[in-house]
Amino acid sequence: MIKNYFIIAWRNLSRHKTYSIINIAGLGIGLACAMLILLYVKDEVSFDNFHEKGDNIYRIVTQTKYDGAEHKDSNTGLLQGPRFAKNVPGIQTFVRVQSYTEDIKNGSEIQSQDLLYVDSSFFSVFTFPLLSGNAATCLTEPHSIVLSEDAAKKHFGTKEAVGKVVMIREGDKFVPFKVTAVAKRCPQNSSIKFDVLLPIKESVEDAQNNDNWFNFYLNTFVVLSPGANIQNVEKQMQKFYVQDAGVTFKQMIAKYGGRPDETMGSYHLQPYTDMHMNTELPAQNGLVNASNPIYSYILSGIALFVLLIACINFVNLTVARSVKRAKEIGIRKVVGGDRQQLIFQFLGESFLLCFIAFTLALLLVQLILPVFNDLANKALALSYLFDAKLIAIYLLLLLFTGLLAGFYPALVLSGYKPVETLYSRFNLTGKNYLQKSLVVLQFALASFLIIGTLTIYEQFNFLTKTDLGYDDSNIVVVNADVTHKDAAVFKAELLKNPNIIDVAPKNGGQWRTSAKISNDSSILFSYETIDESYFQTFKIPLVQGRNFSKAFPSDSTNSVLVNEAFVKKAGWKNPIGETVNFFYNNNEIYQVVGVVKDHHYLTLDQKIGPQLFTMKHDNWYGNFNIKIKPGSETESLKYIQKTFRQTLPLSPYSYIFKDDQRISDYESESKWKQIIFFGAVLTIFISCIGLFGLSVLSAEKRTKEIGIRKVLGASVHSVVTTLSKDFVKLVCMALVIAVPLAWLAAKLVILIAIATVSFQAVKAAIANPVKSLRTE
Amino acid sequence: MIELKHITKWVNSGGNRVFLLRDINLTVNEGEFISIMGPSGSGKSTLLNVIGMLDEFSEGEYNFLGQPVHELKEKHRSQLYKSHIGFVFQAYHLIDELTVYENIETPLLYQNIKSSERQAIVADILDRFNIVGKKDLFPTQLSGGQQQLVGVARAIVAKPKLILADEPTGNLNSKQGEEIMELFRKLNAEDGVIIIQATHSERNAAYGSKIINLLDGRVEK
Repeated sequence: MIKNYFIIAWRNLSRHKTYSIINIAGLGIGLACAMLILLYVKDEVSFDNFHEKGDNIYRIVTQTKYDGAEHKDSNTGLLQGPRFAKNVPGIQTFVRVQSYTEDIKNGSEIQSQDLLYVDSSFFSVFTFPLLSGNAATCLTEPHSIVLSEDAAKKHFGTKEAVGKVVMIREGDKFVPFKVTAVAKRCPQNSSIKFDVLLPIKESVEDAQNNDNWFNFYLNTFVVLSPGANIQNVEKQMQKFYVQDAGVTFKQMIAKYGGRPDETMGSYHLQPYTDMHMNTELPAQNGLVNASNPIYSYILSGIALFVLLIACINFVNLTVARSVKRAKEIGIRKVVGGDRQQLIFQFLGESFLLCFIAFTLALLLVQLILPVFNDLANKALALSYLFDAKLIAIYLLLLLFTGLLAGFYPALVLSGYKPVETLYSRFNLTGKNYLQKSLVVLQFALASFLIIGTLTIYEQFNFLTKTDLGYDDSNIVVVNADVTHKDAAVFKAELLKNPNIIDVAPKNGGQWRTSAKISNDSSILFSYETIDESYFQTFKIPLVQGRNFSKAFPSDSTNSVLVNEAFVKKAGWKNPIGETVNFFYNNNEIYQVVGVVKDHHYLTLDQKIGPQLFTMKHDNWYGNFNIKIKPGSETESLKYIQKTFRQTLPLSPYSYIFKDDQRISDYESESKWKQIIFFGAVLTIFISCIGLFGLSVLSAEKRTKEIGIRKVLGASVHSVVTTLSKDFVKLVCMALVIAVPLAWLAAKLVILIAIATVSFQAVKAAIANPVKSLRTE
Repeated sequence: MIELKHITKWVNSGGNRVFLLRDINLTVNEGEFISIMGPSGSGKSTLLNVIGMLDEFSEGEYNFLGQPVHELKEKHRSQLYKSHIGFVFQAYHLIDELTVYENIETPLLYQNIKSSERQAIVADILDRFNIVGKKDLFPTQLSGGQQQLVGVARAIVAKPKLILADEPTGNLNSKQGEEIMELFRKLNAEDGVIIIQATHSERNAAYGSKIINLLDGRVEK
């Protein structure tokens, strides 16, 4: 019997190729999307759960209250780990992880290397297998270094690197570090991915200085005893913290000033596996691949859309084609088939089709995976597919799709009355509301996605093309931490080349600090160290006063410039001549000599905050913005590199064009834009082939009508109109439904996006100045 | 064996009641061969469908092998016709996607007969109807007469007591038609199968042992 079903199913499929191709292609694509996204979601969910002590590893996080709001922070200081571990029962051990960049000498070349400073307990807390070396002792000696297998290969050309020496810069010279272990490459679903590990630096004075409770710059992880009560441990931590750091806190508030309602804050434990998708307390500061669960939702939504649309195709086409199969159904009933047997037959057919589509989907996934990995920022492999749980889920997916697509047609088809079908009394030209509403649903979903894509495109264009208030074209950025004196030498050398128009050094990274303004209240701002070339290099206009100038040698000790936002925040009527008091630096006082126009110095989705510019000698520069003549890129870059090597021989050389750097800030937006675009293209494609199939069937069904119309003198044009009218109507209806919905959804998504992004911005903007100050 | 008492069937069309069958009384005994005659629309097919339990009737009593069909539930009814009635149609109604062999085999499949037994039965029928050479062809590859031969083969493969044939020769030329009628006569005489056929043709009707004339849903006396 089953064999008979499959024979007829197979013959039906091969005989009606258009129909089969539409269904198989549609379902195949739908299933492929679903598989990819399952892979993605599974990877997201399984992130970080490969550590043997996984369930007992927690990150110490803080919560403070000031300015009437709660603020969470995932960073901690030097003392939290060791002191809590020693004094709070339930905490077994701790490991601190500090991200840093050091200059490493490889032969004659100097490279900057991102690395992690960690405690020697690192390998006992986390499960990162070693290829060679001793996990317990490899990080105990101060000048030891642990490499990943990739780093070992890069530096020594072999994984057998234990005992070899790596030269790392300390001040003005390079110091040898002995390789004590080589670790296997970190799993791709790990928040900690290291190439180089160094033992954390901690002097005896540092370990004893209670101020370090409030100097936040690293991640601290602890291992709890199995079965420890978290609330209890947190309570104990808090009790110890208040007792140990209470006096210091009061002293610091007295010294640096605090906010009216600022509290000591409280300590909490965040499960290690919770970091990856937590947007409030993300995996950051040396931890990588932090993700947002919203991506999982969006992707799952797209997969569901595509699969649903493909299933709708199947339902619609099968029911529409049933006119042709009605005779077969009638005969089967007459010769003794009962309804149940027929339902099984049709379900069998849909399963056969799904199975073929499933095979196709596997092939597609294999093809698309590299592209998808790139877009979704993942390193998923096909071998991930062969996981018992995933296979089970895929089989469920297959079953689900088969039922979803096959059940309704099976029910309808098996219900036909033989007398009607066999005596051509059969009539399917009824209202067909179901088919129509399904088509409307399909196109509504497709339009919804397309509008979503358009919105995201627009948003992206806005982010990348809006006037930022400065001009970053033809600017090469070269990084180097140097003093003002060295910077001046480098700049003078560069300017000897006629292709180089100007050189503007600036501090590296984003500095923030606070200072008292004239009326004794303090203000928080971005703190930029520049020189007199900065504004002209970036074409940032001056609104009032003057720029820094060589003509005023005292500028570096007396003068600052501010932006308009600063003036507004300070509430100054006439900013020129006002003063800014850096109270914590022995009351250094600066005079405002100029005001520059506001510009988007951060990404565009962040508000322009107060900015203060100084030339203070003690602040080091971190990078040089070198404006070159357009078209002189090759020569200029060659010259810049040569000059750099000559004047700053100890620093690693790398360059990037400023505008490329700015666009790379929006890289993840760009990738997600593409993913959603593909999703939209797929849904519209599948919807269209479905509509095509329906129109073919409808034309076949109406051949008699068309014949009569033609005999009566209808033109080709009018026949085409008659045939297309109905479907066009449906698609228009879908649009009418989708547009307002999509508009609402787009608003919602943008709101969520803004909320997420501005949360970070606001958080940074209102960060406790005591903490941020101490960080720099 | 078959007993129809005051069978009446109507449908409602635009508020009017249209009668398809009116007060039909009919008794069919074992071994009979009945021809139903009448012009188009006189109710021949409807009567056959009522007898074959494919169609409902509005009033009256119908006893089949001593069972009151009008009181049976759908499931029992289909069980009854499945095992006792074979149908032959004017348009053959073979399944186009199945071969001759598979078409004949289908009723046996639905009666859950074992594979080896099925093979024997189908082989026997193919042999008897002289179409062994055509068993792997699809219906569209056969002539009309051959298709109807397959249709009859399919109707009798499950050894029914009754064959209902609705204008079985309507699409055939006279020679082909004659062959089919001869086949019916043989089945009736040798196997004792009851045959009820609807036909337009006087000549074909003459094969029957009894002729019933229908007009506007009524039996003409």
